[in-house]
Amino acid sequence: MYKYIIRRILIFVPMLFALSVVVFALAKAAPGDPFTTMLDPNVDPEVYEERREAEGLNDPLPVQYYHWIWSTVQGDFGESLIYNGRPVLDLISARFLNTIYLGLVALFFTIIVAIPIGIYSARNPYSWLDYFATGFGFFGLAIPNFFFGLLAIYFFSIKMGWFPSQGTISGTDVAGMQEFFDRLHHMILPGITLGLAGTATYMRYMRSEVLDVLGSDYIRTAKAKGMTNRNVLYKHTLRNALIPIITLMGFEFGVLISGAVITERVFNYPGLGTLFLQGVINRDYPIVMALALIFGVFILVGNLLADIFYSVVDPRIRYD
Amino acid sequence: MNKKFWYLLIVLTLFAFLLVACNSDSGNEEPSDEDDQTEEPSDEDSDDGGEDSGEDDGGETASDEPKSGGELVGAMDTAPAGVYNPIFYSEAYEANILSFTHEALVSQNGSLEFIPQLAKEWKTNEDQTAITFQLEEGVKWHDGEEFTAEDVVFTYQTIADPGYTEAGGIRTEYVTPLVGYEEYVAGETDEFQGVTADDKYTVTFHFKEPNVNPLYYSSFTIIPKHIFEDIPVSEMPSHPATLDAGEVIGTGPFVFSDMVEREQYVLTRNDDYWNGKPYLDKITWKVVDQSVITSLLETGEIDFVADPNGVPAADYDMVAGYDNIEMMEQTDFGYQLMGFKLNYRTTEDAESGTINPDNWIENPDVADQQVRQAIAYAINRPGLVQGLLHGHGSVINAPIAQQFWAYTEDVPQYEYNPDTAAQMLDEAGYVDADGDGWRDTPEGEEWILDLAYPTGNKIRERSAPIIEENLEEIGINVNLGQASEFSAYIEDIMTNDDQNPEVDLYLLGWSLGSGDPDPNGLWNIEAAYNISRWNNPKSDELINKGLKTPEAFEQSFREQVYAEWQNLYATDLPAVLLYAQNKIYAYNERLQGVDPLPYSFINNPHLWWVNDAQ
Repeated sequence: MYKYIIRRILIFVPMLFALSVVVFALAKAAPGDPFTTMLDPNVDPEVYEERREAEGLNDPLPVQYYHWIWSTVQGDFGESLIYNGRPVLDLISARFLNTIYLGLVALFFTIIVAIPIGIYSARNPYSWLDYFATGFGFFGLAIPNFFFGLLAIYFFSIKMGWFPSQGTISGTDVAGMQEFFDRLHHMILPGITLGLAGTATYMRYMRSEVLDVLGSDYIRTAKAKGMTNRNVLYKHTLRNALIPIITLMGFEFGVLISGAVITERVFNYPGLGTLFLQGVINRDYPIVMALALIFGVFILVGNLLADIFYSVVDPRIRYD
Repeated sequence: MNKKFWYLLIVLTLFAFLLVACNSDSGNEEPSDEDDQTEEPSDEDSDDGGEDSGEDDGGETASDEPKSGGELVGAMDTAPAGVYNPIFYSEAYEANILSFTHEALVSQNGSLEFIPQLAKEWKTNEDQTAITFQLEEGVKWHDGEEFTAEDVVFTYQTIADPGYTEAGGIRTEYVTPLVGYEEYVAGETDEFQGVTADDKYTVTFHFKEPNVNPLYYSSFTIIPKHIFEDIPVSEMPSHPATLDAGEVIGTGPFVFSDMVEREQYVLTRNDDYWNGKPYLDKITWKVVDQSVITSLLETGEIDFVADPNGVPAADYDMVAGYDNIEMMEQTDFGYQLMGFKLNYRTTEDAESGTINPDNWIENPDVADQQVRQAIAYAINRPGLVQGLLHGHGSVINAPIAQQFWAYTEDVPQYEYNPDTAAQMLDEAGYVDADGDGWRDTPEGEEWILDLAYPTGNKIRERSAPIIEENLEEIGINVNLGQASEFSAYIEDIMTNDDQNPEVDLYLLGWSLGSGDPDPNGLWNIEAAYNISRWNNPKSDELINKGLKTPEAFEQSFREQVYAEWQNLYATDLPAVLLYAQNKIYAYNERLQGVDPLPYSFINNPHLWWVNDAQ
């Protein structure tokens, strides 16, 4: 098992290297650079040319790549070209935890809603509640994120006043436990908004997986042995039904880290998604490349975790 | 099992509820107009309070005396990038904070005249090569140090520093006309002669040549020497005194004391403000998504929304209907245009960045002046203002901001008239020669105009197909391309403008500075931003004449020259000016003493007060 994990982690190195080349090539292939969008009739274009030269944007690409990858390996992601030379690492770390928390809340919401409903629907197929869940599933998938977010704000925040609508914290003067609850309070609406589509998907998956497993021979055997329905469900059905869900979650992990541009925007929740989007629009190469690499790492790690969890859920799966 | 069922039911009813809510109020939510500040930065210097506005009447509740105390919450739709240093900041959101915390020697008033701020009076020498300022005495920085002439010298010296541009600074226009700049920036001397401190409260700016508008060049916001003097210029942008709330030091009426980055920015009263203690205790900027701002205005959670985007024109009526909200509307400093690509550069020139009019290749598709005028007649500009801006804007015909003394209405107007347009095209020989329904060139060749436009500004995006329709109505075959993303777009029309891809018409907006109406930066033949590549020697002649000393010391002389230039522009038409948008400000009626400048909502915030202060 450990050998397997170490081997997988070692494979990360060449994969990340390949990823870095692709990321760099794509970033540089996009037309324009950070200074093309800065049009100010009061600023002599010469000034921008000097900045380009100073930032090394006029160097040959292999040289630029070398400089970038070498400092990245040393843990230095460079400085943002747009945020007036602020270190990329600072910009990312300021938002990283926000993104993680929001992702976890969304995931939590997804799991507590999707899995029970999925199971219920599978056990009582074609009941009115199953139909309702199916309807909700389509609703969740179909409604655009920003629209649902705005609805949630309008209804729960402005009309009912239950939740704050914007940001991650009420003010600069909350601290301690109060801060924890305040932050949690701020995360609920964006968390639900972000988790909605996932909830719908997982619910459908869960339903069909459980139905599938319930119809299989070993369940019939278990039932024939006189096992209670409860035991059949928890001991046999769930374990097997969860395997594909875990695969999905492995991917989901990376996706959640990469942030949710639209949810972040509607709720003004500063996270990595918005940072990445802004970086792309402004051609802020250091930010784009650093984030793309980080997202890559998380997707790889997510998949690795999924593989490891397989062996926990399904003892038949063994790695060596 | 039963229990679980009930939980489920609760969750599901909740969503059912939402579905119902969805039907009832979806009308309110307009997708926000994307802010497009990146391409249209102006040189707003975040000038705020002038000292001589004592006649401020505190809004319309004249019976109420201003009261001290109270707090205010402002909203901006995007978080500032985070550089709170006047010499390095670059965008309007940062300016929203700096306008409260920092000041300059001079500010501007409602008619854009320069008025005293940190300097109480000034004198120019005879040929306007030097201007001497007498500073306010007893002005204190937020940390208690005294503000002196040395701070002014230090600020300009830093901008002239050899390392300034490399560190990310772009404001060198303020120092280039000063004596000794070249030597200093080249590192040949340690002594910057452009700005000198004559004594503790007297400072003189020395210009290389007689200067038409010396006050403009001395209007840059001042930074504290005692904070920055030991920090190398290259480290200033990343220094805490630039980045961190509580460390940013200015002379302004409010202190930037606290922040939750990208969410809240807190300004607290500067009790020792030299121009009188501000009334308000605290002003908090909250970053709020555009689509939510109006609702929060209604609930009173935010008190005002102003620059740079204000209230979207489409929401004007709704917000005006709120009982607790006052609206204010004024013309923006700038305009949207549809440019004619008159000339292209050669590929070699574009690659090397050379701008040499001798090498330019004329674009035959729009070379005929009469054709350009016909196109101007064919575009329904009042329709754009009505339809896209809901009437909150104006049609303009001259490329100088309307607020300036230099702006003139007295130019060809091109009132919407498709018949005139068609007739003019007929006269110019652009008729349908091959019977395919589209006009052809006088030589009988196919005539297609390629219209390019960028994404970003939603209103501008929506104007493109309308313009296409207008032109097709009079038989012009317009090829409306896909909107491209702004960086790519600028490469196509400006950086690599070598006919590949072919662009005949382009949409763009400019934000103008409030300091001086000189159109050099945009319309000088060799200016990089002269994207039309308009090559009319007469224009350059007039633009230069407008700055020629000593005649140009007289404003009336400049006025006359610029009127002539605007006429030339409107006749030769390197671009059709489409519209100037209005800025729509909204604020809670509890806020009193608001007195916006043409270029900024924030003016004399130390005189703002709230009528419900305890």
